Parts: sequence; structure tokens; C-alpha cells
Amino acid sequence: MTKIIDLSVKEKIYKSKKSQLSILNDFNLEVAAGEKIAIVGESGVGKSSLLNIIGLIDRNYNGEYTLFGSLTNNLHASKLAQWRNQKIGFVLQESALINSLTMEDNIKLPLLYAGSGKKEFKPEVFESITNAIGIKPILKKKPLECSGGEKARAVFARGIIMKPQIILADEPTASLDMENRERIVTLLFKMNKEFNTTIITVTHDLEIANRHDRVIHLGRSK
Amino acid sequence: MKIFKYIVSKIFLRKAILGIGMVLLLCMANYITFTAVRSILSTFQGYQETRYINQEGFYIANLDPDSHIEMNTVRENGTQAVYDYINNNFNYAFYADGFIVSVPNIDDMEISLVYMNKEYYKLNQFELLQGTDLEFDYQFDKEIPVLIGKGLSKTYPVGSTIEIEESVLGRPITLKVQGILKQNAHHSNYYALNSKIYYNFSVLFPVNEEFINHANIDLQLNGLMDITILQTTKEEISNLSEVIKDNLGLKFNFFSQKENYNYINKYYFHTLKIISITTIILLIVITCLSIWNALVSVRLMLKDFTINLLVGLSYSKLKKIFYGYFGILSFIDLAVIFIITAFNRYGCWLRKDATFATYGLFGLIGMDWLALLLVAASDIIIGMIVVESMLWKIKKIPISLGVLQ
Repeated sequence: MTKIIDLSVKEKIYKSKKSQLSILNDFNLEVAAGEKIAIVGESGVGKSSLLNIIGLIDRNYNGEYTLFGSLTNNLHASKLAQWRNQKIGFVLQESALINSLTMEDNIKLPLLYAGSGKKEFKPEVFESITNAIGIKPILKKKPLECSGGEKARAVFARGIIMKPQIILADEPTASLDMENRERIVTLLFKMNKEFNTTIITVTHDLEIANRHDRVIHLGRSK
Repeated sequence: MKIFKYIVSKIFLRKAILGIGMVLLLCMANYITFTAVRSILSTFQGYQETRYINQEGFYIANLDPDSHIEMNTVRENGTQAVYDYINNNFNYAFYADGFIVSVPNIDDMEISLVYMNKEYYKLNQFELLQGTDLEFDYQFDKEIPVLIGKGLSKTYPVGSTIEIEESVLGRPITLKVQGILKQNAHHSNYYALNSKIYYNFSVLFPVNEEFINHANIDLQLNGLMDITILQTTKEEISNLSEVIKDNLGLKFNFFSQKENYNYINKYYFHTLKIISITTIILLIVITCLSIWNALVSVRLMLKDFTINLLVGLSYSKLKKIFYGYFGILSFIDLAVIFIITAFNRYGCWLRKDATFATYGLFGLIGMDWLALLLVAASDIIIGMIVVESMLWKIKKIPISLGVLQ
């Protein structure tokens, strides 16, 4: 299988106003295309920081990161933005929506930045995603009019609408009931199966973690 | 363009009060800059214009501030005696304006008659669009050759005649158009360099000794106020002051232009320096307030910006959007300043105010455009500072934290 992620972090310093914490010390990760990886570990060990590094939204670390065969450390910021748009899908927490936009506009937001790639977008993809995760009735509503679960599903839909090669999911089911949790996981794995999408999920839910190909336990740095 | 429209309409304009705040701050900055720059430019223009009288032996009359004119006590034979003395002893440049006369013209403006003698005309070197220079050796009872402003040339081309009821002589006379002045030809006040009158609707009337002798007391007295005595000495000037005092009861001071410049440097330029320093201080304060406004905007819109960055917006594109947005705000403010200026300039045409009507787009003249250009330059500087501050603030906060704000 093709290796698409080759990450080697010597150290990541997490700074707060009062102190600083060293995380992900000598951490190495290789991921093949189409792999499903779960990252587990207690709070504060650097699970989300790792997703940020993989997702090209954090370059402030000591190490090297090769993605799709290119060393990202020296890539121009606009190239990284293009990859975040077209190759990486983020599924973050429910609050990561723009309150002034409707749910539909929030979900379609990545299309705005897709440039020429947008022409390949088929409206039926949007239809099938919103149908599959059951958010069609709330598309014209604004985030503040929706429940936490509905918002979480909208964030999920936005993360996968560009059919990215990698989906990075940070606690994607944390605020969902059992039915919607299953919907999301099923759709995530369906994308993996149909499009060979690489899935990297940060979760505290061991049942979900165990359904992935590989589970990485992050511990505290010494 | 679509991204720009989206960011402006869905993010910036959602917090319209901040946008309005920025427009008002910029408007203040622009108006202050425009007013200060135009004052300085106009003063500089006046300063350049009056350099021709800054010559050894030139003295300019100035009525002493403590000396008040009471017209009923000034007698015509008194002013005539003064002029007799001046004519016999001095070479002088004579100038008097402010004499309004009704002359039919296409723009229906009231016309200002400006009287000047040969010496004054020679010193000023007026530029002409058409025709020939003013002649001063004319037959008093025949057609009198005059120069006219560009505004009158549509009605009175070179060679045509104008019949007027001349108030200074108190009888009808015929003027013959000998030449047309360049557009926006003007005269700066010797003692208030940024104050000007424009000759677009004026008639430049040649004055010779015979004319002054036949003129009424208004012209004689008016001309005395700004008279410039040429190639003379301090002692002779002192004698002239005595003659004026004896005949008119008025105390006149005579200053060389060098002395006037000293006065101007001491008081007038000092005021300009204060205006300049105050303008710079105000601009710094407004820039600081603009930065504060921009940073508050970033704080309130941070989540929206970072979500867009997460899904594909690049920092370089965001920077272009910020500059575009700031450019629009600056353009709105420049348009406001332009409208205010055009309203003032064009208002002179609407009010039929002949001495201030100027030619140009909506009456705007060179110094207005230069001031607007400098306003635009100050906007660019403020814009760069504000936009870079906003980007610095956004980049300082990791995307991963910003989206969850």
C-alpha cells in the first residue's frame, strides 16, 4: 500500500500563559493510503495536537512531515491551504461552524475555495451526504437554531464534502446519540471502503477505536 | 471575487458597527489631512507668487491696525494730494479689486473689475490664453483695452467690446477685449497667503496716471491699501507715511517683502507648523484607534476567519481580501472628501460668486487634486498598518484554537 503520511516529531512544545508542556516527544507515524487509524489516550497527551500537525494547521513543532511524497515543512502556506481544502477533511467539534451562515452554506463552504476543482462537484454528492446523516430538514437553519447533535453532523458533512483523501476526525461522535453515532461511523467507513479514504480518528470511545485497522495509544512524555 | 464578496458580506458586514467605525475614523483622518495639506499648498503657492515683490527698495503699504478709516472724514482732494505726491516722487505698483459690475454673460456671473497699473502688470507676468498684453497708453475717452478671464471669453472673444457703467469714473465706458487670461489665474493676498481670488470672471482694467486722477475716492483709497512703492528708500517711505497722515489722517506702515516674510515666518508659518504637528498627532491617534478597531474586529470574527482558513482560505488570499476591503472603505472616504470639496467649489458657480469660481472637474483645481492624492497616500499608509496588524493577530492564534473560539 502507498505510504501517504510519514511524520517524525522530535518535540512539540505546548505553551500556555503560565507554563509550557513538551508533548509528542520522538513520535513517529507512518500511514498508508486507505488505512483507518484511531488515536486514544488521556487528556493532554497531544491527540488533538497530532491531528493539527497531520492536518497542516500547525507547523510549529520540531520534526519532519512528508505528506503525499512532499516535505511539508518548507511548502508555501497557499499550497497547504489548497491541500487543506482538497485533500484533507476536518471533522472537528460541533462548535466549529459559522453562526451567520445557514447549515447548508456551512457545509458547502469548502467548495468556495475549491477553484477549478469545484467544477467536479456534483450536487448529488451533497444530497447523498445530507440524506445519509439525516440533516436535510435543518439545512436552511442557522447553527444557533440547531441542536448539538445536528451541528456535529453538519461539521462532519463539511469535512467530507470534498471527498478528501484523508479525513481527520476529532471526537466526531462525542455529542451524538447512539443512532447518529452509528450513522456517522458507518458513513466514515463507507468512504474508506468506496474511495480508499484514509481515516484518522481521535476518540475516547474504545468501541469505535477498536473498529479501526490500527489503534495508537498516546501516553505522557517523560 | 466570489470569495471577496462572501467574506465582506457574510463576515465583515455582520459586524457593521465596526465597519462604520473604521469609515468614520478614516473620514476624520482624510478630512484633517486634506484640510491641512490644502492650507499648506495654498500658502506655499501664495509665498511663491509674492516672491516677485521681494526686491531691494520695494515697500508694500499696510494700514496700521490701530488706524480706523472713517469715510466721511476722508476727502477726495486728500487722496488726490497723496497720489500727486506719489506720482511726483515714486515708481509704484497699483492694484485694487472688489468692484462688482453687471455685464451680461453666458454663465450669468457678476463680474469683478480689477484695476492695475503698468508696474503691477509687469511684476505679475500674467499668462494669456489668447490675445496680447495689456496696454496702458490708451485714449481715455475711447475704447479701453482690457484682459478678461476665461469664463467671460465665451461671451466676449478677443476683439469684442463690452459696454459698462463704470462706477469709479461714474460714466459709461467701452472696453475692448485685448486678451484672455489663462484659466484659474488668481491673486494671493499679501498678508494672508492662502487667501486667493480667481480672475475667471474678472476684467483686468489698465490704470494710468490720468485714470487715477479721474477716479473716485473709493478706487484711490482702495488702491492705497495695497500699493507697492518701487525702488525707494526707508527715508522716502517715511516721508510718504507723513504725507498720507497729513492728508488722510490715516497711519500707513510700509514694509519690505523681506519684513513681511519675517512676519509671515514668525506668525503665519508658526501657525502652519502647529497645524502640521496637530495633524500628524491626530493622524497617529486615529491610526491607533483604527488598529484598536481592527483588532476588536478580529477578536469578534476570529472564529469565522479561522474556519475559512481551515477549509481552504490561505493567509495570502486573506491578506488580499483585507487590503481590498480597506481599499473600498478608503475609496468611500475619498469620495466623501471629493463630494465635500466639489460642493464647495461648484457652490461658487451656483451662488454666482465670480471671485471664487474655478475651472476643473466640479471646480476642483490642481491643489485640490494634489491634496486628494496625499490623502490617498495617507490612507495607503494607515491601511498597511491596520491590515498587517489584523493579519499578525490572526496568525498569532492557531487555527485549531480559533475555530473553537
